[in-house]
Amino acid sequence: MSQPADSAALTPPEAPAYQKINYLNADRGVMSWLKTLDHKRIGIMYFVSVLATFLLGGIFAMIVRLELTTPEPTIIGANAYNRMFTLHGMVMVFLFMIPAIPGVFGNFFIPLMVGAKDVAFPRLNLLSLYVYWTGAVIVLFGVITGGADSGWTFYAPYSTTTPMTLFPVLLGVFILGFSSILTGLNFIVTVHTLRAPGITWMKMPLFVWGIYATSIIQVLATPVIGLTTLLVGIEKVGGFGLFDPGRGGDPVLMQHLFWFYSHPAVYIMVLPAMSVMSEIVAAFARKNIFGYKMIAYSSLGIAFVGFFAWGHHMFVSGQSSFDGGAFAVISMLVGVFTAIKVFNWVGTMYRGAIYVSAPFLYLCGFLFFTVFGGMTGIALATLSPDVHWHDTYFVVAHFHFIMVGAVIMAFLAAIHYWFPKMFGKKYHEGWGMVGAAFIVLGFNATFIPQFLLGNAGMPRRYYMYPERFTPLNVASTAGSSLLAIGFIIILVYLIYALIHGEVAGPNPWHSKGYEWRTSSPPIKENFEEILEYPEPPHTYQQPGEEVEHVII
Amino acid sequence: MSSSDAAVHGHGGHDEHASNPHLAHHFDSIATQNHASRLGMWLFLGTEVLLFAGLFLGYAVYRHFYHETFRFASHTLSLTLGTVNTIVLISSSFTVAMAYHMVKKGNNKAAAGLLVFTILCALAFLGIKAFEWNHKFVEGALPGKWFTFEEMKGMPGANMFFTVYFLTTGLHAFHVIVGMIVLLWGLKKVVKNEVGADYAIPIELGGLYWHLVDLVWIFLFPLLYLI
Amino acid sequence: MAENNKQDADPSAHETEHGAGRYVLIWAALLVFTLTTVITGRMDLGSANLPLALLIATIKAGLVVMFFMHLWDSEGINRLVFGVALLFVLVLLAGVFGDLLTRMPDALPTGRHAHTLEGGDMPTSPATNPHE
Repeated sequence: MSQPADSAALTPPEAPAYQKINYLNADRGVMSWLKTLDHKRIGIMYFVSVLATFLLGGIFAMIVRLELTTPEPTIIGANAYNRMFTLHGMVMVFLFMIPAIPGVFGNFFIPLMVGAKDVAFPRLNLLSLYVYWTGAVIVLFGVITGGADSGWTFYAPYSTTTPMTLFPVLLGVFILGFSSILTGLNFIVTVHTLRAPGITWMKMPLFVWGIYATSIIQVLATPVIGLTTLLVGIEKVGGFGLFDPGRGGDPVLMQHLFWFYSHPAVYIMVLPAMSVMSEIVAAFARKNIFGYKMIAYSSLGIAFVGFFAWGHHMFVSGQSSFDGGAFAVISMLVGVFTAIKVFNWVGTMYRGAIYVSAPFLYLCGFLFFTVFGGMTGIALATLSPDVHWHDTYFVVAHFHFIMVGAVIMAFLAAIHYWFPKMFGKKYHEGWGMVGAAFIVLGFNATFIPQFLLGNAGMPRRYYMYPERFTPLNVASTAGSSLLAIGFIIILVYLIYALIHGEVAGPNPWHSKGYEWRTSSPPIKENFEEILEYPEPPHTYQQPGEEVEHVII
Repeated sequence: MSSSDAAVHGHGGHDEHASNPHLAHHFDSIATQNHASRLGMWLFLGTEVLLFAGLFLGYAVYRHFYHETFRFASHTLSLTLGTVNTIVLISSSFTVAMAYHMVKKGNNKAAAGLLVFTILCALAFLGIKAFEWNHKFVEGALPGKWFTFEEMKGMPGANMFFTVYFLTTGLHAFHVIVGMIVLLWGLKKVVKNEVGADYAIPIELGGLYWHLVDLVWIFLFPLLYLI
Repeated sequence: MAENNKQDADPSAHETEHGAGRYVLIWAALLVFTLTTVITGRMDLGSANLPLALLIATIKAGLVVMFFMHLWDSEGINRLVFGVALLFVLVLLAGVFGDLLTRMPDALPTGRHAHTLEGGDMPTSPATNPHE
């Protein structure tokens, strides 16, 4: 394969094609993994964990979709259905989406991207993993012993008066919050204190900027959900009546507290996804990122303004229309920051040297889904139409466009982009594109019908529906099977690549991201020698230069 | 530390690694490491502020709805005990700040004594709180469905005051207990001379946590006991 | 070495340049403010009680934060972290009170159809409509 003239600068001098002694085999034995302080190993353990929880959340989703194939009861009863969609939501949000990209790729790549040997507090990092496991196990225990049926949003007064136990699940969520806080805290301190000389704030990779902004949200918002789960649990067990109108309480107060975290939480989920895309778009268009500063600042903008917008989840809850209007206007502002990013990504691709591959296909899917998911979000934030759309499938489609369409695309893109770096092997690109096709097409087939269903009036969380909604529901379920097939295909060829994959070498993508300037897989200490960082990451052209074409 | 760490240390930084046993391998200097530790603790204190914020919100909301009842209820709390507790906590903040000062001055003996006094203040605070709570149990001035307080029977939102009272002072007392454990850990380090003038960060961080406990009470006291 | 992120001057190195007297002064000030708030708090000042109590508490907290916790001579990022946390607390209060103060009265816990129960069991069915 032909290499650009400066590729020598990308490859550390005597690094072998496959790093024989690397972080995976430097220390042997299960205990060396369980007691590791190596951020890369912790990232791998998060990876395995979130894949398992994603599978579990996916199973709940398939049960929901199968049940909704017919307007009558199909495979489960009404109470079981309530538990299925509740657990799908809780497992996906708290056990997968919140920890996934920061826990896996943040942990693995932040130190590599800032030229550090580890995160600031390696022991707290390991603790965050243990706390995650503890919270996850408790949630799973709750799932098995009856689960929860309140919806993942566990609004009072239902959550405080339902005979369903709910307590283990709430406790698990409470504990998981600490894992999120520890992760965020670690990354903020790492970025402030461990950047290598030469990596100034304005030369940090955009992935780091995005994770940094995410970490701000994790640190400041998560305590509020901790308190909310605590208060709901106490009220359920102790009859304190904080949210009980019969005792002078206000149930809408619970929603305020819940959404004060849960709205910024969606930015915990989406900001890392966007920052992955900033890396991928530059690498696969082989072009300097367009508007570096604006993308960096817009991440901070989303993190901050995301805290001011929570009331748009409560337009029809009994909240005053004045407050609702204020929240509606502020919510629009977040759309501005997202639009800035989308335009800059497209601007990066324009006149770039595109390399079509699985990560690039996921990027395309991501852009399409972010635009439509984002625009429907703005539509929902417009108070008056939301009165019609609230609690319908329109909302469900909107957030799945972002949660699955944007975040899962980014998660898959990140896996494919960084697979060679993490494991030193290449996956089969042909199968990669097949998998991407199934995912993107399956996703469209699953969720576009849901916009139509919601607009036509089908409520969410409903176990049965009017006959006329059947065709779209069947289409949606069929689409979800395509999604499932896609995930299975990806799992199979990735496992195959781990075992029999072609050796990747330090930089198979010829990417000029900082994390590629070490061996694949990386050695335990990250770098053989202290590197210099004369240029910003992803500097593919100097001013005035044309884009160079590289055959990968 | 594996031997290959030496390969990555390069020029200059490893001098401090060799001379300072407290310096972790991934930090280039103890100054940076201390900065990181401090920033980490301030971030954690930020999370504690947001945690209590929700409860202060609950207080604000229900005070807004039931301000006459809340005013009456606050007068049923013991002003003496509340004031004593406030003085106890403020003084404990003073002594823990002094303890850190003494460690930095190299006087671990004085620091140990000050830390012991701080811990005793914490115990005193908890003791007084337990006494107050017990009184509430006897009176029936309890949250939600347990409310049977004759003196305020029929007042709108009466039970809500005590719901907020028990939730806020309960969460605060929990933090006092955690703070005590942190202070004991710090005391152990001082007594064993694992900290000193050149390395006092554990005491600094422990002190910061204790001050937060005091900060929360500085706001709780007037809101619950006075106005 | 790492010039751009190294703390060339560790603030904690300067903390013992002043004596212990500073702490005694702050402690004394805190006690004075405590006395002030105890006296003024139980007085009936109408609607001024709350702002006054909060003002005194804020001053006391400020003294503890700035001098006992050394935020006064600490790195700027620590001040930013604490400040932003406080800001978000205000945002939470503002957003919720924006709702409470402008909601239609019957939708509030103190509205016509709400009634409080002291003691007794948790309601297991919705409150009955007093008009029926």
